[in-house]
Amino acid sequence: MAKLILTFNKQVIKEYPFVKDSITMGRQEDNTIVIDNLAVSGYHAKIDKVGGEYFLTDLQSTNGTFVNDQKVLSHKLSHGDNIVIGKHVILFVATEKEKIEGEGKDKKVPLDKTMLLDTAKQRELLARQKVASSTAKIPQKIGVISFIDDSGLGEIELSKKLTKMGKGATSEIKLSGIFMGATAATISRRPSGYAISFAGGMTKLKVNGTVVKGSVPLNDFDTIELGSYKFQFYQKEVKSS
Amino acid sequence: MLIKSSGMTDVGLQREGNEDSFSVQDTFGFYMVADGMGGHLAGEVASRVAVEIMTKSFSKWMESQSPPEEIFGFPDESLSREGNYVLGSIRLANRVIYEMASEYEQYNGMGTTIVSLLVGPGRVVAANVGDSRMYLVRDKRIERMSKDHTIVAEHVEMGVMSEKEAARSPLRHILTRNLGSSENVDAEVFEIEPSSEDLFILCSDGLTDLVADEEILKAALKEPDPQRLNRRLIDLALERGAHDNTTVVAVFLDQVEKKRRSALGRVGWLAADALSGMNRIKRKLGL
Repeated sequence: MAKLILTFNKQVIKEYPFVKDSITMGRQEDNTIVIDNLAVSGYHAKIDKVGGEYFLTDLQSTNGTFVNDQKVLSHKLSHGDNIVIGKHVILFVATEKEKIEGEGKDKKVPLDKTMLLDTAKQRELLARQKVASSTAKIPQKIGVISFIDDSGLGEIELSKKLTKMGKGATSEIKLSGIFMGATAATISRRPSGYAISFAGGMTKLKVNGTVVKGSVPLNDFDTIELGSYKFQFYQKEVKSS
Repeated sequence: MLIKSSGMTDVGLQREGNEDSFSVQDTFGFYMVADGMGGHLAGEVASRVAVEIMTKSFSKWMESQSPPEEIFGFPDESLSREGNYVLGSIRLANRVIYEMASEYEQYNGMGTTIVSLLVGPGRVVAANVGDSRMYLVRDKRIERMSKDHTIVAEHVEMGVMSEKEAARSPLRHILTRNLGSSENVDAEVFEIEPSSEDLFILCSDGLTDLVADEEILKAALKEPDPQRLNRRLIDLALERGAHDNTTVVAVFLDQVEKKRRSALGRVGWLAADALSGMNRIKRKLGL
């Protein structure tokens, strides 16, 4: 069984055999290895055992996690690695079997087999990791268009993944005008963010004064013109439930 | 709309079996790539079941134009009807694989990724779970239309890791979601409008592990034939050692209708400009 040896000023404080699939280190009392020092974050780092390998992950700690004097975000542990958290040093000791396996392999070969992070504990840790640090939170945002013409349409939240604008019956945002296309333009939410595209009809689409014939990404406070309509795009945070 | 499509898979140079599955269906414009995982033959089974269940459920709902309430799971209000069919078929495939994995010992722990593309008139639906990807090549640019469900992708999204670090990280193959490991699954679903000369590329991580986004773009710009593009991309992976199964599905769109290119249209453009200008002046003057 692999183990971790917690040391401070070269003095061994405690040994921790690796009995679970996942352990955490930090200042909070529910960590596997509790390190009561102000330089250590509440949940500072974790080690997951995945398919016989051990992976160290820094949980966005304030002062960072170091392995053999290198700052790491994630690191595959090898026998004898020194993990430094604040002023504490944790020595990783692999079992005899793991040591032999580790030496036999070329260590540069990456783990090329896809695996799933699977145990309930690991999932919980991952969830907690997001809550533990405010900077780690990914804010959920939704796009809004705000009409600044005199159409009286006001603000419209883009609650659909694909919003069609035009005078057709299938358009979510109805716009009028003789030359307005049934679908004149569309706004889509993509992995990289929102984008607007020209879709058809004889009404020109302009973003920040430039005519768009294909599609362009939308940034906060871009001004969009579609015929006599004029509106601004921005994103607002959604309160996650 | 014209669609040219092709799918290709290669076992690679280091694996014995091929755990990837794919499907190319021009009738519905429905395309998929799945990358299975699990011991013995379980990975192959998982990816094949995912593709088969999704094909069957999706075509059934599509043919009967089922109302969203009648498909599997609660409908997602932010999606179109077709988008909900895709989402429902992913949820159903997940449930079937999950039940198989818990019921039969030889299937314990099996799972699969999925990435699917639906091309319809006026709407394209991109959906994925896991780290199989979809790219869109449009206007000589490449854009991801899928979101990786891996630890490193989450780190990138949180801003604590760069794309470059993520591509080298030893954790890059550790998924946070797949089909088959839990009773319910959340899929990533995006909808966009199709455009002429759009090219969609669906692939397993056997490709993206060895070939960078920019290289995929370069190959795509040189090769307008889907089958030849697939060959070129898989050859690139093979040249670099192909440590994993590699699967690519390429879908080229053309003649996506946009009613604006006729001669009459051009005159109309001018008239429309003049008219909207006049309208603006009229409104300003309060007429």
